[in-house]
Amino acid sequence: MPDTKLLMTFPVTATSHTLVEYRARGGYATLAKVLTEMKAEEVAKEVMASGIQGRGGAGFPMGRKWAVVHLNDGQPHYLCANADEGEPGTFKDRWILEYAPHLLIESMLIAAYALQVRHAFVYIRGEFDQPYHRLAAAVEEAYASGRLGEGILGSEFACDLVIYRGAGSYVCGEASALLTSIEGKRGYPRNRPPRLTVRGLYQRPTVVNNVETLSNIVGIIANGGAAFKKVGTEKSPGTRLISISGHVNRPGVYEIEYGYPWAKFIFDDCGGILGGRELKGIIPGGISTKILTGPEMKPLRLCNEDLEAAGSSMGSGGMVAIADGTCMVRLLQVLLRFYHHESCGQCTPCREGMGWLHRIIDRIVAGEGRAEDIERLYQISKWNDGTTICGMGDAAGYATSGILNKFRDEFEYCIEHKRSRFNGTLECPRSS
Amino acid sequence: MPEIFINGKSVQAERDQSVLQAALANGFYIPYFCWHPKLSVAGNCRICCVQVEGRSWVEISCNMPVTEGLRVLTDSDVVKAYRKSIMQLVTLNHPVDCGICDKAGECTLQDYHYKYNGEPSMSRDPKVHATKFHPLSERIVLDNERCIVCSRCVRFTREISKSNALGITQRGDASLVRAAEDGALDADPYSDNIVDLCPVGALLSRSFLYKSRVWYLKPTPSVCPGCARGCAVHIWHRKPEWKLNALDAGQNTRIERVTPLDNPQVNGPWICNKGRDLAQIFERPRAVQAMLKGKPVELDAAIGAARRLIDGAKHPVAMVSSWGSNEELDAFKRALGGQFASYVKRDWAPQPGERLDDDFLIRADKNPNSAAARALFPRQDDGAAALDADIDLILVWGEGFDFARLPARARVIFLNAYLQPENGHADVFIPISIQTERHGHYTNFEGVVSAFEPCFARKPTVADSETLFAEIAATAVART
Repeated sequence: MPDTKLLMTFPVTATSHTLVEYRARGGYATLAKVLTEMKAEEVAKEVMASGIQGRGGAGFPMGRKWAVVHLNDGQPHYLCANADEGEPGTFKDRWILEYAPHLLIESMLIAAYALQVRHAFVYIRGEFDQPYHRLAAAVEEAYASGRLGEGILGSEFACDLVIYRGAGSYVCGEASALLTSIEGKRGYPRNRPPRLTVRGLYQRPTVVNNVETLSNIVGIIANGGAAFKKVGTEKSPGTRLISISGHVNRPGVYEIEYGYPWAKFIFDDCGGILGGRELKGIIPGGISTKILTGPEMKPLRLCNEDLEAAGSSMGSGGMVAIADGTCMVRLLQVLLRFYHHESCGQCTPCREGMGWLHRIIDRIVAGEGRAEDIERLYQISKWNDGTTICGMGDAAGYATSGILNKFRDEFEYCIEHKRSRFNGTLECPRSS
Repeated sequence: MPEIFINGKSVQAERDQSVLQAALANGFYIPYFCWHPKLSVAGNCRICCVQVEGRSWVEISCNMPVTEGLRVLTDSDVVKAYRKSIMQLVTLNHPVDCGICDKAGECTLQDYHYKYNGEPSMSRDPKVHATKFHPLSERIVLDNERCIVCSRCVRFTREISKSNALGITQRGDASLVRAAEDGALDADPYSDNIVDLCPVGALLSRSFLYKSRVWYLKPTPSVCPGCARGCAVHIWHRKPEWKLNALDAGQNTRIERVTPLDNPQVNGPWICNKGRDLAQIFERPRAVQAMLKGKPVELDAAIGAARRLIDGAKHPVAMVSSWGSNEELDAFKRALGGQFASYVKRDWAPQPGERLDDDFLIRADKNPNSAAARALFPRQDDGAAALDADIDLILVWGEGFDFARLPARARVIFLNAYLQPENGHADVFIPISIQTERHGHYTNFEGVVSAFEPCFARKPTVADSETLFAEIAATAVART
């Protein structure tokens, strides 16, 4: 049974986030080792060897992203931790920010050392209050103890860490929009090319990584990239923080090793489905990943291989369980209202398409659906597939076509009978 | 020079070009809304999509760098289907009120609809409504329902006019173009360019609002006389074949609007707001009657009287117009230059509140042809100093001369196009034609010569200065 823990390795207490306790757990020893014994290239080599993939949703290998940044090219580089955890269903980075902020800071310092970064940023979701205060306090502790600023731990390495609070936009969690927002501009995503690792923040090479991805660096460097790669499955090295919500008895953030059986996770660890109901569907990694039905999900392991074979992905690790009796038409309405509300309005397919999708689904829910509406929802989703500046158009399209593929009969029922097949309330007595 | 292949045909592209630029430069048309040759790439309209051979999806060509051996298709079925979808989306909440839209007839959206879509909307839902007639500035109203949020206007104020006057507020399909703060766009002397830039009828010029359908109008190439830059412009006026006989016949000789005429040597595709308001200069009340001391006479009689005054003068001085064309100035020099002590006159001074000059287009000299005039007549009138007391005849050509400076006994020949009280006081007054009634050239401050064409016919009682000087001189020579 794969059950390694790499991040949730300590008991959470009221003070476990402080510098004193972090040091007691061996914190900042890896940074000291890096600053005294390792070259920047060696750090990057370990990260590349670990094969760690991004934990923010797209799953791009971190080592390959770093490799685009040329060291000693005479221009400033920037590092940015993406803590704008906006994907609905996802709240795993919050755990790191609240309970292990120094782990993030230490990891970012190692990354900054490897990438020759003088100024690193944390773009934190504006709604995160406790995580922000914990992180800000940790940054102050780090400055006060000589772990940030000039001459870190007595070495020549210098790095400043700036916390930037977002203003609540979903799109600003997209790497390029996030940088545009840090620059003080309207948070519009940017066209590629150029990639952000070529021209990012202030037109300089910039690496943007998810908080969880970065937080793994300490472990990777302390134990070596090869040791990290041994954890998990062949194509999915490491562990994963999963935030599970929805109709389960024990929602929350769990760390699982890649390859962990999903059925065990949901029925043992999470205590099964609310009210002992059947599982109708599962959104495996944030609402932008394609929904899977309960039977489809049951034999799978939690790793990229299995989920991709099933036509979905691990996404951002924001898992939503949906019990039997949930109206999928209403569910899609909620999702599309969100995408409509959060579309930045920059490019045509998403700006107009999200509103169109939302109006159609509103009409279906209100009992005014037409026979052609399902085809129209498919069509608009397809028009957004890979044609927008950022991934949001695709995400909304995946969510829509995913639900339509699996639960088309419910939509047809709703259009034909002018009401949902379900009574609209989900009576799930909490089993205690 | 990378070689790329567009629809299978080899094309030599420039290294820093995008695929869109390379295609346009080589005769392949790719549609675009938000892209503009003078503005940064926004990549938001998505209609310029092309397909790279071997890929099943489309990508936008405005942001695709050319690379050696790149093979793109601009007209494949995938591209056509995608363009159609973009047209469906763009027109989803567009009111399609072409019948009452000033842009109809020269609207990119309208043209593309017929070219790339041609089908009614697939939507059965009500359109999203937005603000109509939002006053962006004193000069421009915005129809948010027509706006397709291409951001050309926003980029113009950031990158070209540098006023940063516009931005986009709200998001999604509620996005609105708005002035950054109250009056921000009023302070931008180049604001009206965004009306031309707008690919749809969202930005509307108040001065042209509901004035005319564009297909009744004809553009005549001309030169803006507003300052020494001499921007190339199109003066739009009613086509002769659509002449109005009933209703307001005055419309036949009215300047309906002025737009820039792209001249990379002078102004590029931009002009300032003053250039848009040429009607305010040219449509002032005109002088059409020759006079002797305020007494109406035939044009020939006035020419004769002028000739006699010149013959009898001992110390004649001429104030030469810096609004005269190169041809007129030449004609004056050839015909009368020997008889007069000639000074170049500053016809127009900056008006109160007018921007004096900047580092973009506007020049401090508010006369179009000072450069050519000074080349021919080195002496310049400063507009203030007292004139020599022994001057016994002064020929004033054009506006801007302070008649209080005249020596007491000097006689006056006044050539002017507009009604002014001084016309009646001159010993000889001859009405002359204006720029919109004749051919000619201006030389701008950098020495670039630009031509202007006549828009309207000259009245027979009005003289054309180019021939007038020769007539005066010919008769003068014949008498000596």
